[in-house]
Amino acid sequence: MPTVLALSSSPSRSSRSAAVAEYAVTALRSGGVDANHLRLRELDPSPLLAADTTHPEIESAVRAVAEADGILLATPTYKAAYSGLLKVFLDLLSQFAFAGKAVLPIATGGSPAHVLSLDYGLRPVVHSLGAWHVLQSLFVLDSQLDEALRPGEQLRSTLEGVLGDFTHALQAPSRTATIARSA
Amino acid sequence: MTNPIDGTETPATGFRLVVVSGGTSDPSSTRLLADRIAERTARLAGERAEQVHVSTIDLRDLAAEISSALVSQLLGPKLTRAVATLREADGIIASAPVYKAAPSGLFSSFFHVLDNDLLIGKPVILAATAGTARHALVVDNEMRALFAYLRTLTAPTAVFAASEDWNSGELGARIGRAAFEMLVLLESGFSHKIENESWQRYQHEYGSAGGTELGIDLGTDLMRLATGGSARPTGSS
Repeated sequence: MPTVLALSSSPSRSSRSAAVAEYAVTALRSGGVDANHLRLRELDPSPLLAADTTHPEIESAVRAVAEADGILLATPTYKAAYSGLLKVFLDLLSQFAFAGKAVLPIATGGSPAHVLSLDYGLRPVVHSLGAWHVLQSLFVLDSQLDEALRPGEQLRSTLEGVLGDFTHALQAPSRTATIARSA
Repeated sequence: MTNPIDGTETPATGFRLVVVSGGTSDPSSTRLLADRIAERTARLAGERAEQVHVSTIDLRDLAAEISSALVSQLLGPKLTRAVATLREADGIIASAPVYKAAPSGLFSSFFHVLDNDLLIGKPVILAATAGTARHALVVDNEMRALFAYLRTLTAPTAVFAASEDWNSGELGARIGRAAFEMLVLLESGFSHKIENESWQRYQHEYGSAGGTELGIDLGTDLMRLATGGSARPTGSS
């Protein structure tokens, strides 16, 4: 069974990006994927900021990244970029921590004007971590979630397609296999 | 006053504002956006008893010369005139259509063939048009980077207009904000002070500023030889 680790990276307790990650994890599980959700805000901040990978919480988070076939990154959009909390965590990973993995970047934000922040900001970082297959990123408008942070109908249908592609990529993470599939 | 070499008009007084538009259609929303910013700047200047003279470089008229210049380093007559107009500019409004999440190739290519120090210190308003708001960050990520490389002074307010923005009051307000920034930058004389008092502090490429870039003395024996003259006869001083 392929494994996915969803990393949600909002510092806020009530977070749209965490809600999207949680929804995606549930959907992936029902599709036969062993998916788990790690909220970075729940990690002990002091060893996190000090990049202390010997601390048990950090060590276990790093191990979960290493063991996953796919990584789902969920971030809010702050100042036209992904969250600082996400960068703090990515910074303590080894240089090629995403080697061989498929990565799905998802951002939430209030305005479509910031859609490209995923491609300008996050995508190069994910590539530098050695990911083999970074999927088409998904930008979720705040208005696509209801007040209880549940995805609306349109978002649910978008996510179904996006998560389907992600699941495919988990089974065939190498570039040649991906090209063969799309041909 | 008309320059006998390149035919550019030099106004006796007032600021010279140059619109560079990468729009390809006629009429073009990219050109229209730049014109609106230029008009607003001129109007604001008028309210302060100042004058702004606007001239326009429409890149679609230069397309053939720009592509020749990219591969041959040779500037055709229209491109030469455009360069002269920019050299005399006190401020620039640079307006590009967004294609494939980037400013159009024509727009980028035009700035690629300019000398690196043609625009040092000149104030610039960045403007872009697109079919969707999803491309708004192209202005800050790509255009601002290009103009930073050219060492221009980009105004803090850039103007991005997606199709749905044209009838919104918000676009008009933003244009007003950018125009005012341009006017204040023109009044400050920033680029002229840089050019007159600090030019040698910038890195220049050989040939990019007609010899002034190097601070070299063309009168030395070595330089006289290098430029095709002869060394002074032995014994003379």
